[in-house]
Amino acid sequence: MTRKLTLLLSVMLILGLVLGGCAAPAGTGTTAEQPEAATEAAPEAAPAGPFEPMVMAAENCDYGGEFMSMEAVDEKTVKFTLCYPDPAFPSKVAFSSFAINDAGYLESTGGGGTLVEQPNGTGPYKMVEWLRGDQIIFERNEDFWGEPAIAPTLVFRWSAESAQRLVELQAGTVDGIDNPGPDDFTVIEDDPNLQLAQRNGTNIFYLGMNNTFPPFDNERVRQAFAMAIDRQRLVDNFYPPGSSVASQFMPPAIFGYSEGQTWYEFNPDEAKKILEEEGVLPGFKTSITYRDVVRGYLPNPGVVAQDLQAQLADIGVEAEIVVMESGAFLDAADRGEIDGFHMLGWGADYPDATNFLDFHFGPGSSDQFGEGFPDIWDALQEGATKSKAEDRQPWYDQANELIKQHVPMIPIAHGGNGAAFKADVEGAYASDIGAEQFALMNPAGRDTFVWMQNGEPPGLYCADESDGEALRACEQVMQSLLAYEPGTGAVVASLATDWSANEDLTEWTFTLRDGVTFHDGATLDANDVVLSYGVQWDASHPLHVGRDGSFTYFPGLFGGFLNAPE
Amino acid sequence: MSTTTATPSAAVEPIFNTKPRGLWSTALRRLFHRRSAIIGMIILGSLILIAIFAPVLATHDPTKSLIGIEDVQKRAAPCIHLLGCPADQPQHFFGLDGNVRDLYSRILYGSRLSLMVGIISVGFAIVIGATLGAISGYMGGYTDNLVMGFMDILLAFPSLILAIAIVTVLGPGLINTLLAIGIVSIPVYARIMRSSVLSIKQQDYVMADRSIGVPSGRILFGNILPNALTPLVVQGTLGIAVAILDAAALSFLGLGAQPPTPEWGSMIGQERNQVFTAPHLIIFPGIALILTVLGFNLLGDGLRDALDVRQRS
Repeated sequence: MTRKLTLLLSVMLILGLVLGGCAAPAGTGTTAEQPEAATEAAPEAAPAGPFEPMVMAAENCDYGGEFMSMEAVDEKTVKFTLCYPDPAFPSKVAFSSFAINDAGYLESTGGGGTLVEQPNGTGPYKMVEWLRGDQIIFERNEDFWGEPAIAPTLVFRWSAESAQRLVELQAGTVDGIDNPGPDDFTVIEDDPNLQLAQRNGTNIFYLGMNNTFPPFDNERVRQAFAMAIDRQRLVDNFYPPGSSVASQFMPPAIFGYSEGQTWYEFNPDEAKKILEEEGVLPGFKTSITYRDVVRGYLPNPGVVAQDLQAQLADIGVEAEIVVMESGAFLDAADRGEIDGFHMLGWGADYPDATNFLDFHFGPGSSDQFGEGFPDIWDALQEGATKSKAEDRQPWYDQANELIKQHVPMIPIAHGGNGAAFKADVEGAYASDIGAEQFALMNPAGRDTFVWMQNGEPPGLYCADESDGEALRACEQVMQSLLAYEPGTGAVVASLATDWSANEDLTEWTFTLRDGVTFHDGATLDANDVVLSYGVQWDASHPLHVGRDGSFTYFPGLFGGFLNAPE
Repeated sequence: MSTTTATPSAAVEPIFNTKPRGLWSTALRRLFHRRSAIIGMIILGSLILIAIFAPVLATHDPTKSLIGIEDVQKRAAPCIHLLGCPADQPQHFFGLDGNVRDLYSRILYGSRLSLMVGIISVGFAIVIGATLGAISGYMGGYTDNLVMGFMDILLAFPSLILAIAIVTVLGPGLINTLLAIGIVSIPVYARIMRSSVLSIKQQDYVMADRSIGVPSGRILFGNILPNALTPLVVQGTLGIAVAILDAAALSFLGLGAQPPTPEWGSMIGQERNQVFTAPHLIIFPGIALILTVLGFNLLGDGLRDALDVRQRS
């Protein structure tokens, strides 16, 4: 009996094990299929709801900025209501810092982090990989709404050394380089394997002073320093052909330039006399701070700094040269922390005075020059609110004259610069505003176009970048409502096909292009536009994060943030 | 009966009549018999003379730009009338730099700085390092472990990286460069001195001093240190070459001597992008640096051989 019971139990146990072993895969398969079915069913189960237009609005215009509201009228129409007329609004909207992001992507990234590392735009290229410190790889966006990029792959590399950039171009490892050294222009022109594309000097190099630090708080002292610097000598000796001495902050080719305006005559004896009268000399010691990176407006930072040092020494001022890391230097300058002189410059982002004057001397500008000048603010405000160019120009003439009077900086040069390409690259050009579209260039049928610029972009969420090295990379991937035409810089349609304004230029309406998708497959709609602008505008918005949260361009061009921290 | 008288031969000089030579005079004699050491001494002698007489030998002010003074272009190639440069062009033996300054004069003045950096930083390192090493070796025990442990920590960092870190903290400049190079050199001299002291303190004359109660300080600084100087001198000479190279590297990176001070490393650094368009701006400071380092290395090698006890015996 006991044996039978044992046998029965053994049989049951074996059967149980066999059945259990067979059942396990079946069971696993069943549970695995369930979510798959749910995922597939999900789109059908939850079809896209009706479009819910997004609106962001200020209570009133007392906060000091330009925007009153931004709203999605319908899925393809966006309306911006401004506090005051802005004839340059289309030019500003076309700028790459105001590129459109997918609202869903903005929310999923929390406004920073991945958004900075992995842009998701609508441009002709999409980012594949960013090997920090080495290169960024882009591939052609096959779903691009316009003409597809010619080269299937685009690679961005960088080197701070102009000699290295040129060697790489000569060796054939890159197809184009930015900013060849001034002394290399003739080498490139003489080389049949290379071509040089020059940019007009739509930039300004200046020697800045901060009026919160003595003795720069004394306007007469600043005027004296303006007389002490021989700008002609700097341009003649340290700038390439195509450069010119600056008579004002505005470059001649940009609207807002004042014809006939002059700067202080170079007069070191008079400068020295004033400085002695003001008690600055003898014995004044100061510093010249700069970042050792080449830009179109400053092709020789080190030698220019040393020449300025020598010129100051000639009037008895002992200046120490201080070199800072690029990002830290820009941050310190913006925060108004640099005592003494600082060497900085600006290249045009779009061809209008607001890009130069409002950004640097307007009420929303940084603390680079210390406390602002209300009379300059007033002139700029008036100039920005007139609709016709002939009505605007007198105000910019006045602003330029006031800048000369207050001397927040000494304008030195409009630097001629350029880019160099292999001779076989078709369609190669250098944009005056540094916004080259590599999708239009054909590297002689090669699969990859390799571009080498001066530096690595700090981030690729260009709402929160101000460095041209980042902006150029963004422009391959991201697009704004409008764009600048390659070659001319004229404002043309991009994500918006039509745009119009009311009579007093305070309401701007944009109609979005149909069939535009982001690189992740999302479709462009008006809410994407409202949120892309809104997160920059509203400083208290949870997505107002960015890379370091400064969003420098927005207050510079649009007057200020909504809900700005005190 | 015959007697033999031993007459001392005039050719054979009694050994006890030979005047004994001291360590340093023997070493000097041996040094002068080494061709490489003589070349090193000639190079260094010339360098010292150049440094002393730089104001006489220089043709221009090394920090003054010639813009507006002479009709010249920046980064102009060397112009020597004897070698065919037109007489109507101003003569510049090594050409002009990016700021239109005479490179020859800058290189001459640069020798002062390089020598000063090498000698002062190594002198500083020897004084501190030798003192620490001597105390550590003589005292032994806990003090030895503590001091040498700290030295081992310093040695764990690559010297140039540590120097960069120190200059970054202290701020760029010549004085801080001297300090940084001096600090990173200390452990080498401390270890050399400690090993010498460990060996010498077992010698009979030291034991004799201790047995009669001579104070430790007097034994250490009166008897041990003078006998332990030989390896320090050799290492110090070689160390100067390393210090000059480190200082040039720091200046190349913009952390050492600041403009417009003429320093060879910073000259190369500032004109590094002109290596193809104006190579003379890289080549001449580079040659000056090579010759100086070569001079110290040849002299150091010669001294090491001359002072080597085994070879002497």
